[in-house]
Amino acid sequence: MNKFMTTFLQTYVSKVRAKSFIISTLIIILLIFLAANIDRIIELFDSSEEVTTLQVDAEEAQYGAIESMFASMDAEFEIEPYEGGDAPAGGAVLSLEETDPMAFTISAENDLPDEQKTEIETALAEVQRMNTIQALNLTPEETASLGESPDITYDIAADDGEAEDEGSAADMNPLNSIIFYVTVIIMFFIIINYASQIGTEIAMEKTSRVIEMIVSSVPPVTHLLAKISAMISVSLTQLIVFVLAVIAAIQMFDFNNLISEFGLESNDRTVTLAVYSLIYLILGLVLYLSISALLGSFISRMEDLQQALLPVTMFSLIGFYIAIFNIWTSENMLVIISSYIPPFTPFVMPLRAMHETTGQVELLLGIAILIVTIAAVIWLAASIYRNSVLSTDKGILKNLKRIRRE
Amino acid sequence: MSLELNQLTKKFNENTAVDDINLTVPTGSMYGFLGGNGAGKTTTFRMILGLLKQTEGTITYNGKPIDYSVTNRIGYLPEERGLHPKLKVEEQIRYLAQLKGMSKKDIDVKLDEWLERFEVPENRDKRIEKLSKGNQQKIQLIASIIHEPDLIILDEPFSGLDPVNVEILKKSVKELNSSGATIIFSTHRMEHVEEMCEELCILNHGSQVVSGNIDQIKSDFGQKEIIIEGDHDISFLEEMPGVLDMKQVRKKTTLKISDEQYAEPIFKEIIKLGYFKRFQVNEPSLNDIFISKVGRKYE
Ligand SMILES: Nc1ncnc2c1ncn2[C@@H]1O[C@H](COP(=O)(O)OP(=O)(O)OP(=O)(O)O)[C@@H](O)[C@H]1O
Ligand SMILES: [Mg+2]
Repeated sequence: MNKFMTTFLQTYVSKVRAKSFIISTLIIILLIFLAANIDRIIELFDSSEEVTTLQVDAEEAQYGAIESMFASMDAEFEIEPYEGGDAPAGGAVLSLEETDPMAFTISAENDLPDEQKTEIETALAEVQRMNTIQALNLTPEETASLGESPDITYDIAADDGEAEDEGSAADMNPLNSIIFYVTVIIMFFIIINYASQIGTEIAMEKTSRVIEMIVSSVPPVTHLLAKISAMISVSLTQLIVFVLAVIAAIQMFDFNNLISEFGLESNDRTVTLAVYSLIYLILGLVLYLSISALLGSFISRMEDLQQALLPVTMFSLIGFYIAIFNIWTSENMLVIISSYIPPFTPFVMPLRAMHETTGQVELLLGIAILIVTIAAVIWLAASIYRNSVLSTDKGILKNLKRIRRE
Repeated sequence: MSLELNQLTKKFNENTAVDDINLTVPTGSMYGFLGGNGAGKTTTFRMILGLLKQTEGTITYNGKPIDYSVTNRIGYLPEERGLHPKLKVEEQIRYLAQLKGMSKKDIDVKLDEWLERFEVPENRDKRIEKLSKGNQQKIQLIASIIHEPDLIILDEPFSGLDPVNVEILKKSVKELNSSGATIIFSTHRMEHVEEMCEELCILNHGSQVVSGNIDQIKSDFGQKEIIIEGDHDISFLEEMPGVLDMKQVRKKTTLKISDEQYAEPIFKEIIKLGYFKRFQVNEPSLNDIFISKVGRKYE
């Protein structure tokens, strides 16, 4: 077996078998399954019960008006005349007092779900309106003009007449936003989690001095690359487990409810977004984990690790915030510029991919920038890792200076 | 077939750590590097292994420079000891031995053998951080020789061990050597070199004081030591030709002569006086050689 694979497998297997990996994976899978059942869970805590019949206690004329109103709204429950006594099981009683405005009382065994309440309230408001219109004896034209909405035009100087731009917020597709959020959050989660792991792994070898035995067997660069690849594979393994959990959840539970409830429907941007998100997610992980490995190799005491990894935490946090807080205003200067600054690119580019105004060229340019940066980081890591492994100098700056001298 | 260092020099900025070393380590020999702290032993080893780049000079092993194509045939015990604290002995050895190209099956068999030999078979499943320092050192030595290398480089292998364990380790190192491995080790203890090595190199502040076969060095050195024990007064010997130094402790006198030829006249002089319990001509000690070359005592 070659030496790259030896280090790769040793790191990969020991990390995947680690308690922290198994526990964090299980927790996320649990969350995925909870999320898949969110509507059922909400129902579980909701004591309200849908009614199937609504008995109406009113005069003949009002009864007709109410019945036809509910019929025109496609209400899901039956309208029946009131038969006296308590409300039947699964039903409610609506009684009307002909005051002005009209007073309605709804009595039922259990609380009604919010949607049904809204439905009933809307219908009754309309009944009240019709009633008032009748009482005023308006002409049909007057009646019609009551329902008209005013004509409002915005004339805003700053807009420069580019009316299309403001569309971005309006045509935000919920499914696309979810893909974007999931990409950025998962990327951030994995970077924060694995940056410190790979840093610890490399720093541990260095501070325990076992590294000298290792690099007398395998070239330092091969070793470093094997470590980085192994950690990236561990993170991707976790990612794949999550994706499988999502697929399993979709297979196992009826999603139609959830999808219609939240209005999740793909549009013609969804595929572009999904593909670019995946590419940027992977490139982002490779970039940040390579940088962490490099920083981890600088220190000679474990206590310095957190300090050494500060840039990784800072940059990923800033990138994450730029992406998350600009989701409604994605074409501003900050987003455009930061999308070309390598540490922010993986976070900000998926945001731009979501919007039609961003062309393929820009998205491909982002990928090119990342690939060049990753190549540069790995080249830098390769050329200084060799010298840094035997040094016991404290602190990053000293190490950098030393490396420049050699 | 040997390891050769030619005009090997290493400078750290202005500080010359190793200064123009020339030596040959014959195949199958046991070679000692002797020198005090900062003499340049570790730096030389690191250059041999390619961990540090020499400022000048060449290193060849069997006629070729040492690179990662031959590292499977080399075993190295670094001076700064340390294994991955969180791994089990078994896992750590398996990993390091696989890096030397061994198969898992061979590793398991050999590891048991070695743990048995070093009298620590119970440590196989323990985490390294749970072992004592000396036991960690044994494990690390196993890691550096388990793949049966041709060339073994041990940087101060006996430091930090109790006398019993020093003996166990010495025995194993000798056995490895007699089964054909070329062994280089460093120490600052002269007696280890005197006891174990055929060849040596003495370093002092980065330069090579002397190197080669020990017997050859001693006979080339010329100086001999004579020990005389008896009841007669022999203080007049100090004036004899060839005598460099004379020390008397009660009835035992130690003379240093600049060449063996001066021993016979001395012998003839003293037997005129009568009976002596002892008259013995010794090879010079490494210490004498060191003192005469460097002009001060070793350590
Ligand atoms: N990485 C380094 N940077 C600068 N100087 C170094 C470095 N490594 C060693 N030196 C210097 O090189 C000289 C030789 O050091 P080396 O470690 O080779 O000595 P040694 O013979 O192994 O000593 P010891 O018996 O104490 O281990 C010392 O003066 C040391 O300060
Ligand atoms: Mg040393």
